[in-house]
Amino acid sequence: MKTTKPAVITRVIKMDRGKRLIAIIMLVAICPLLASCYDAREVDDLGFVIAMGLDRGKTNTLRMTLQIAKPMAGADGGSGGDDLPYEQFSVEAPAVFSGLNMINTFASKQISLTHLKVVVFSSELAREGLKPYLNAMLRGKEFRPNMPIVVARHTAEEYLQSVDPKLVTNAAKYYELVFQSYKYTGLIPKVEFHDFYLASKSPCRNPVAILGDAGRFLSAEEFDIKNSTYMDHHRSTPFEGDFFAGDIPALGGARAENVGLAVFEGDKMVGELDGTNTTMYLLCTGDYIHSYWTFPDPLAEGRYVLMDVKQSRKPKHRVEFVDGKPRIDIMLNLEGDLVAVQSDIDYETGDNSLVLESAAEDYIKDHVQKFLDKTINEFQSDICGFGAYARAHFMTWAEWEAYNWHTKYKDATFNLTVNFKVRRPGLILRSGTSEAMESRRDDQ
Amino acid sequence: MLLSNLDIKGDRDDILKYIRSHILPHNQLKEVRTHQELIDEVYFGGCGLYIDGLDAAFAADVKDLPGRSVERPNNELVIRGPQEGFTENLRANTGLIRKRLMDQNLIAENIIIGNRSKTPCSIMYIKDIANETLVNEVKRRLKNIDVDYIMDTGELEQFIEDNPALPAPQMLATERPDRVCTMLAEGRVAIIMHGSPFALVVPITSNDIMYSAEDQFLRFPYSNLLRFIRILAILMSLLLPGIYLAITNYHHEMIPTDLLLAIMSAREKVPFPSVVEVFLMEISFELIREAGIRIPGPIGPTLGIIGALILGQAAVEANIVSPILIIVVAVTGLGSFAIPNFSAGFAFRILRFAFIMLAALSGFLGITVGLILIGLWMVSAKSFGVPYFAPIAPRTSGGFTDAIFKSPAWKQEKRPDYINAKQQKMQPRISRKWALANENNQAGGDNTGDQNG
Repeated sequence: MKTTKPAVITRVIKMDRGKRLIAIIMLVAICPLLASCYDAREVDDLGFVIAMGLDRGKTNTLRMTLQIAKPMAGADGGSGGDDLPYEQFSVEAPAVFSGLNMINTFASKQISLTHLKVVVFSSELAREGLKPYLNAMLRGKEFRPNMPIVVARHTAEEYLQSVDPKLVTNAAKYYELVFQSYKYTGLIPKVEFHDFYLASKSPCRNPVAILGDAGRFLSAEEFDIKNSTYMDHHRSTPFEGDFFAGDIPALGGARAENVGLAVFEGDKMVGELDGTNTTMYLLCTGDYIHSYWTFPDPLAEGRYVLMDVKQSRKPKHRVEFVDGKPRIDIMLNLEGDLVAVQSDIDYETGDNSLVLESAAEDYIKDHVQKFLDKTINEFQSDICGFGAYARAHFMTWAEWEAYNWHTKYKDATFNLTVNFKVRRPGLILRSGTSEAMESRRDDQ
Repeated sequence: MLLSNLDIKGDRDDILKYIRSHILPHNQLKEVRTHQELIDEVYFGGCGLYIDGLDAAFAADVKDLPGRSVERPNNELVIRGPQEGFTENLRANTGLIRKRLMDQNLIAENIIIGNRSKTPCSIMYIKDIANETLVNEVKRRLKNIDVDYIMDTGELEQFIEDNPALPAPQMLATERPDRVCTMLAEGRVAIIMHGSPFALVVPITSNDIMYSAEDQFLRFPYSNLLRFIRILAILMSLLLPGIYLAITNYHHEMIPTDLLLAIMSAREKVPFPSVVEVFLMEISFELIREAGIRIPGPIGPTLGIIGALILGQAAVEANIVSPILIIVVAVTGLGSFAIPNFSAGFAFRILRFAFIMLAALSGFLGITVGLILIGLWMVSAKSFGVPYFAPIAPRTSGGFTDAIFKSPAWKQEKRPDYINAKQQKMQPRISRKWALANENNQAGGDNTGDQNG
């Protein structure tokens, strides 16, 4: 019996040329039978959804709003005019995919989600829990795992309606760019869908979403700051981050605004944080890149020092258990470049620079502390993911799960260290005295 | 009398021999006995010589058959390097090689191919470098061709190649003597045929088809840039239309949204599926190419106008094809022109259509299957006993430094491993002796010595 096996193999190898050729031709001929362009779709036969909004429906569980991109208007010499670069469809349906089916009945092109740039949930839906929709989005292979998740403070439909990109001809580009602004404003969190989903299931952390809304103001006469959080931050006027989305006194551009973050606990939204606190959130997670900060001038009352603050190193985290309660050590390493000194005080050299640095350290520390306290007192939600550092103290996963970090986080205390260095003075290398200026002039 | 003052020792035959060996120093001399024979020779361009008192005549071969002189190579152009090309004359061609390679071990063995045509051929190799088995194999194949007429190395190539069905060429046809010399010095064998301005060099591997003669003469960063571009050109000419089809038909998520919308609006008015579009354009491009070669010289420029205007612009304006596809086809065309080997260019042109079909049938899956099949085919092929993908699969030493990319001339120390040359080394490890610090090299030695001290 043993000898027969190799014999068969040699016979296969010795198959003559003609037979081999026939075999190859047959294999190639089978290809179209197996595949036969079965899932081939021409680009122009598809309607590409670039944004999806989900609200509670009037007649059904969901009201689904889709923005479908029009073939680029700019391609024929920009004759698009005032037309929107997308077409908006709404439908009420029991679930995401049934809604897609229903929209396909009146949209001429087959709907494709492969270029979906953002999913917007209304805060009403988010507060009830997103689990049923997240599951559909994770299983559906057309959803991109890296798309941002937005929670609209009112309805998602209204939010999407207010997107009228002025700076780009293409709405998809608008969504790609606008949710990257955390890199240079620090006013929205960095959110990707796959990460959001993992965090919603994680025993170590809780997810956040970008907070968005249509701007409240249609003309400059209506401007007010009654919803601003500047009072909470003990300031006399609102700074750039002291707003929630929709409340910024601004006109022009798209009316849709993205400022702040939505705090979740598991898949349920539990609260909102303003732009300033979002910056602190980014600092604590290490996703912060750089942005302009307004610091009160330590030597001149009522004046401000503006700096471009960068993260020089990722933050260092450490969690210890003191009397069974977590103590979280956070070390932030930041550096700033002076961009404006309103008081014209020489902060470039000498002791003044040290004064500025320590003032900035205190300022940042104070804000981060308040943000962390807020996550404990208001939300009891570990959105920064400190649990990931706490679990190092547990030998097995079962022990860690039994510990139940989410319930223990509210007892945590924080030990903050902020290292801040002023690095570059900008193009003014030295703010001199008036005499010095005169003498330089004589030299010339 | 012409012969009266000669010291004639023997009879008439001796006079004949004497005249032939002492007086007529022409080497192509024939002794004829009949008038008819002599007349035939004269008709064929010879010179007849009667000598009074002799019953034989001489026919001297003084004919100078018309032929091309040594000119610039027409197809393998270089900017830097020799500008001489082979001609149709066997002796001139071997002469061009000997002129460059004054090696006493350079052998040119003559062989006649063709039962009727009796075409003279020359097998050239360097005796103490080329592997004997290889030389014997070349001789064996050439001697065992039983054919009436053979006119060109292009025909000869088909008689002696290993895999007739393989799309890629298995021997290098070149019209550049310098290229032949470089390859002979590596231990390869060249075949030159009377009447053909192309010499064949065996064996070659897949890398050789993407080299140009110029690579040798350029400094190594320059030739590496060129090689990188050529690899890119090969990939583009082979795969670009296929990838375009696969992405626009199956993998929409791979394109940036902006480009997708641009393709969408460009395709909006086109009535055909994109496969038909691609085939239309590819076939028209091949038409232009073929017509461009056949078109008589004076009408040549009109072809450019037809190609550019009718196919490029009018087809787009008539919404028969989309402008993006024109770019794809044009870049593919450029890629195929950048392939330095003429035969290899054909190979990629044929395979391109296979990839278009595969991509249209099943997207990237099809392209992957195609690449695997062609890869298997190529890897199993051989050129005169050398695996066709030699420095890479099977992997031999120097596969990447010397074969795909080029190291500086002074670092190319070994001959290609897969040729199994009799002498593996081309130069010692240190060939730039002047860079050494020793007595023979006074100035350099002193300086470095001081620095070290």
